[in-house]
Amino acid sequence: MIVIGATVAGLVGVLTFHTKPARLGLGVLPGASQSSASPTSSVAAGPPPTSGSSSPPGVAAAGSTTTTIPPTNQTATGEAVNYNFGVLSVSVTVSGTKITNVGIASLDDGGNPRSQSIDQQAIPLLKQQAIQAQSANIQGVSGASYTSAGFQQSLQSALSKLNFK
Amino acid sequence: MTHHEEQVMGTVVTIDLYSDSGPSAVDLSPLLNRARAILQHADNVFSTWKLDSPMSRIRRKEITSAQAPPEVAEVLQLCGTARELTDGWFDPWAMPGGVDPTGYVKGWAAQQAADALASPAITGAIVNAAGDIASFGGVARTRPFRFGIVDPLAPGRIASVVELSGALATSGTYERGHHLFDPNARRTVARVASATVSGPDLGLADALATAVAVAGEEGLQFVHRLDGYQALTISFEGTMQWTPGFPFARSTTV
Repeated sequence: MIVIGATVAGLVGVLTFHTKPARLGLGVLPGASQSSASPTSSVAAGPPPTSGSSSPPGVAAAGSTTTTIPPTNQTATGEAVNYNFGVLSVSVTVSGTKITNVGIASLDDGGNPRSQSIDQQAIPLLKQQAIQAQSANIQGVSGASYTSAGFQQSLQSALSKLNFK
Repeated sequence: MTHHEEQVMGTVVTIDLYSDSGPSAVDLSPLLNRARAILQHADNVFSTWKLDSPMSRIRRKEITSAQAPPEVAEVLQLCGTARELTDGWFDPWAMPGGVDPTGYVKGWAAQQAADALASPAITGAIVNAAGDIASFGGVARTRPFRFGIVDPLAPGRIASVVELSGALATSGTYERGHHLFDPNARRTVARVASATVSGPDLGLADALATAVAVAGEEGLQFVHRLDGYQALTISFEGTMQWTPGFPFARSTTV
């Protein structure tokens, strides 16, 4: 018997499965991935999941949670930076020592259709990675990402404006 | 933890060094500089964006691989091995525009950089090349690293968490598509939303992940044949399949 924990829908819950390898030696887990939330909606940047937050076995956690923005939030927009397919600038909101939201303040990709499809997919990914990497109890994220140096650079300059380390 | 970001290979590669002692106990900059030099050198040799790189010159048939720096022949040989191991699903020679080992080089270079970081001064290191991760050791001597796997159906979220010391690569349709090229159909295609491969070497893990993303769930079979490598696929419907030893983090470990 193998016990497998997988965080589902980001930070919202922990799903525990009791399973054993199927006949071919391949595990199958239907519907494990929840995609109810729009990738551009805000996410909870709360504490990392703990064992106490586990859902009952086999029950998927609910979708996204929207952060209630506390009054101490501060937002800054980073410098506009050239990236491979255009010019972008990043805005960031911090509350105390936590990044609570990351957004694109401006984006000009010159109308390049390939660039637009990359942006639509990759920019939300970058936003959420910036938030998740500091919130979950993990040391990194593996994903087919398009980590734009420009995104990081603009994010860093926005954080610097807020004296955020 | 010492964190460094290196702009290289058209992206940002992060290097994290973990140690038991305080950050100022040992000067880690010589270690870091060694890893950074490896990454920049690989970019200079293999970039297909830099018109004067040896790889670009090979693609234009101005020089042969024998006239290029020796690591070119080494990487092309490794690509050949990966092509065999994946039954031809990973094939840099089938790319439009001539041989393109870009799908192997990023992982290979990050692995070289990680290998160069081995030192008794640290408990572990992570080289994260835009989502493809080479690591060894852990957060502490007895605690391996934990990494999230992006949910391809909601790329802001994490579909699963793994616990490992080693390599972790993910390929999917939501990234720049150019290396998800089906050498059999001769077009860009993917049969699962994403494929993640763990194992000892990031170069091969990256090539395997690319191959599984293109081949689909049947690609799990060729990973299953290989010692030390495990794979996880997430279908467009959200179904996960994995090889029996896939290193899921135990839910009790937080």
